[in-house]
Amino acid sequence: MSEMDSSNRRASSSPGANSAGGKYVYCIIRLDRTRDFGEIGIGGGARVYTVNHDDLAAVVSDTPIVIYDPTRENVLAHEFVNETVMREFTLIPMSFGTVFRSEKDVAALLKSTYQAFTDVLEKMQDKIEFGLKILWDRDKVVASIERDNDEIRRLKDEITRNAASSTYFARMQLGRLVEAAMEEASNRYVAHVHDQLKDVSVASRSNKVIGDRMILNAAFLVERKDEKSFDEKVKDISLKFEDLLTFKYTGPWPPYNFVNIKLKLEKAT
Amino acid sequence: MGLLTNILLAPFLGHVWGTQWTLEKIDRVVREELTDDTPIKEDLMALQLALEMGEIDDAEYVRREAQIMERLREVREWRERFGMSTAGGPVRVAGGEEEG
Repeated sequence: MSEMDSSNRRASSSPGANSAGGKYVYCIIRLDRTRDFGEIGIGGGARVYTVNHDDLAAVVSDTPIVIYDPTRENVLAHEFVNETVMREFTLIPMSFGTVFRSEKDVAALLKSTYQAFTDVLEKMQDKIEFGLKILWDRDKVVASIERDNDEIRRLKDEITRNAASSTYFARMQLGRLVEAAMEEASNRYVAHVHDQLKDVSVASRSNKVIGDRMILNAAFLVERKDEKSFDEKVKDISLKFEDLLTFKYTGPWPPYNFVNIKLKLEKAT
Repeated sequence: MGLLTNILLAPFLGHVWGTQWTLEKIDRVVREELTDDTPIKEDLMALQLALEMGEIDDAEYVRREAQIMERLREVREWRERFGMSTAGGPVRVAGGEEEG
């Protein structure tokens, strides 16, 4: 790996070193004049402003040509700009770390993707995203299953009564039954949540769960006017299951999980 | 191999061309492992969750985040060496030598 330790290794993490006139792009909005969003940009408060083409605008800040690591600090800066813009505009978020070499290149993006951006902005008009992660307490769920499931309770009693003589097989069987009951319980909780939120959201998307305690990692697309009802529903559900489940509820976000425009981009040399 | 490969891969391999014959010996599996950032991203998400859930403190987060960033950079460098796409860095509209 010796060659990897060459001198340009650090360049990726130290913005500010070479300040060629790059543009960091946060999002695309509909706006036919320029606009300044203040000094809130990535890399320590760069000025955030628009590059316009026709009635579309890219929200950008100046940046050296670097690769931004997805550190919490950088990701939060990216998100903060989008949150600020979102207060007034419907937006299409760009992937974290998207850097163009020049204003001209940004304008070329708006021009070449004009129709797709316009269509998606129309579809996303007045819609916001919420994130909902649900984690469970395995021990408590197991306890509640052992309490409620007759077959499991009987088998468990049997094993405890005959501790010495209970077979390996009986224990295995118990383990399998509990495992299956847990999966069923998880599916039931998740289905219940989706069912409750169906009427107050436009769409939902389930992402891969993180770790072994999470049973749901979902994003919901919600009409701005339904924000309150969505909020209340989530609170209702979390109250109902507060003994067993932990809810991590975030947002409003730009529709990160519901915009899927494949941009035809290549590396700029 | 030879001149043609050199020309075809030139934009990706650049100065590492000299070591190409050793790279070719690297097993496919190793290559995939070196260039796959999925598990690293999962680790990053798990770390963020741990912080949100109050399982680790800020200092611990920062320490482990630095390690994850280091791993991400290594994968990125390997991907560049193998001529694979990488996230980040300057981009432009494909095929667009847009004349102003």
